[in-house]
Amino acid sequence: MKDKSKSPLKVALHGMDGRTNKMMVMYLQGPCKGAAAVVEDLNAEIDIIDADSLEAKTLLERKLAESAKPIIALSLQELTFENILYVKKPVKVDDMLFALSEAAAILSVKKRSSNHVNSNMENTAIRQSQSLIPKTENVLPSVKDQVKKLTTDEQKKTSKHQTAMQLDEGKFNSYIGSIPGLDVNDPKQFTAATYNPKQYFQGYVQSALMVAEAKKQVMCLNSSWKPLIIFPHNYEIWLDADDKQLRAFASVVMNKISVPAITLTPVESATSSIQKDLEKFHSKDAFLWKLAAWTSKGRYPDALDIHRPVFLKHWPNFTRLVITPHALRIAALLIASPRTLPEIADILKIKPQYVFVFISAAYALGLIGQAKRKADEIIQPSAIKKSEQQGLLNRIIGKLSLNKS
Amino acid sequence: MSQYKIIFTGPVGAGKTTAIESISDIPPVKTDASASDMTKTKKSSTTVAMDYGIMNLTGGEKIHLYGTPGQERFDFMWDILTTGGIGLILLLDNTRADPFQDMKFFLDSFQKFIAETNVAIGVTQMDLSNKPTIDDYHIQLQGIGINPPVFSVDARVKNDVSLLVQSLLYSLDPEIEA
Repeated sequence: MKDKSKSPLKVALHGMDGRTNKMMVMYLQGPCKGAAAVVEDLNAEIDIIDADSLEAKTLLERKLAESAKPIIALSLQELTFENILYVKKPVKVDDMLFALSEAAAILSVKKRSSNHVNSNMENTAIRQSQSLIPKTENVLPSVKDQVKKLTTDEQKKTSKHQTAMQLDEGKFNSYIGSIPGLDVNDPKQFTAATYNPKQYFQGYVQSALMVAEAKKQVMCLNSSWKPLIIFPHNYEIWLDADDKQLRAFASVVMNKISVPAITLTPVESATSSIQKDLEKFHSKDAFLWKLAAWTSKGRYPDALDIHRPVFLKHWPNFTRLVITPHALRIAALLIASPRTLPEIADILKIKPQYVFVFISAAYALGLIGQAKRKADEIIQPSAIKKSEQQGLLNRIIGKLSLNKS
Repeated sequence: MSQYKIIFTGPVGAGKTTAIESISDIPPVKTDASASDMTKTKKSSTTVAMDYGIMNLTGGEKIHLYGTPGQERFDFMWDILTTGGIGLILLLDNTRADPFQDMKFFLDSFQKFIAETNVAIGVTQMDLSNKPTIDDYHIQLQGIGINPPVFSVDARVKNDVSLLVQSLLYSLDPEIEA
């Protein structure tokens, strides 16, 4: 398989007769060392036009009007058209490679910008500047400036890119909390160790996320607390609250007084305070994960049957989540085969509360499914394949866990 | 004493050298040289042979951390490197033109080793390019028929690299404990 970074740029040739066309194909393959390959117009990323041909004027006007592709014009005359990269004839290898690299840079910025314009508050200015490619001599600085702006905005969203917080058993109760009068670790109380996310802020956030994603519309969830803004295109949530405040609000049961105050409204334009407070952006998954963990307080969602096996669709993105005790082990076990919640605790020899909180968080992200087929209950899951190197793996894990800095 | 090793692989610029540096107990042995081919569009120097680091375990055991060179022309070394390896860490650069293509290439190249051990995938540079998302990678992996850990990783951050390696080890045996 070929490394993609070495893939040639796809170019279409215009205004050239058969012989020139063939020569240009060979020139790009040979002297230009395959930096570009000639393809059909429809599949091309870049247009190369012989600007001295009879139909050149019409061609250039049509391409500028119809296509957003970078254009390289080859001409005996020095061209000063805007939005066109110029290579003087007779074409020299260095000049052609330089024009191709400029075109590639433009393509790369366009790709990034098109990803970004859908995002929260990127305004039309970027789209406008993207479509207005400046004069040849100004292309590179402009491209660099744009890349810089885009990257710094994303990098300023520090909460999104923060590494995971790992909770050990000792920190669990103080960080996650517990329900007074309920011992979730007592098998006799398992059936009572449930909660309904819909009765908490978590349920309203999940519903709001579904609406925002379905409508592809930035939405604001208003409640008696702080407004929460959802940016569905970038899977982001903006909230002006710290973890301590969110944890407290997560555990409040919504009652008849608070529910009518909860509304979901479309947001047409992001306010300047949001634009300034980029560090208050959270990834949707990381936010929902911790919100569910705090709402659960060691319980599991009442939609799950504790006697039926559950499965994990795929690994959560643990490096950007709050990692509850034994979460990686639980994930690895469930990826291997479906298990009931008490089975997981038994096999891993851990307290059920650690299983329940993991299941609650993963369930909120849609990663947990309950085995519905009779076969899943009848057939015993395969025994865990113990590694012959278990002792060694234990020691490596021990070493890695010691060095968390 | 037995030689144990974890292999780090991935395309040029994905952060293999940095990741090894993050968890190695010794200053890693780097074999970088100035880039002279297409690589130079990604970074000024690159790994032309391999990187090497060590994790010292209690009891005097050592885990050798090997980083494969990113360029395909060194792929003859990959078989030699993986012999006796515990598992594979695949790092992918999210800013590359087609990271899925990279992923498929490396999963395909190390298919035999992965089948015998396991793989964990770290996606780097997500703060520069937030798409494709981690979910997009899982969708691609579904098509390949494997379900490994896929994490956002900043190769400079020890915790990120450590979690990725831990996920690889737990995939091998969920019953192991710290």
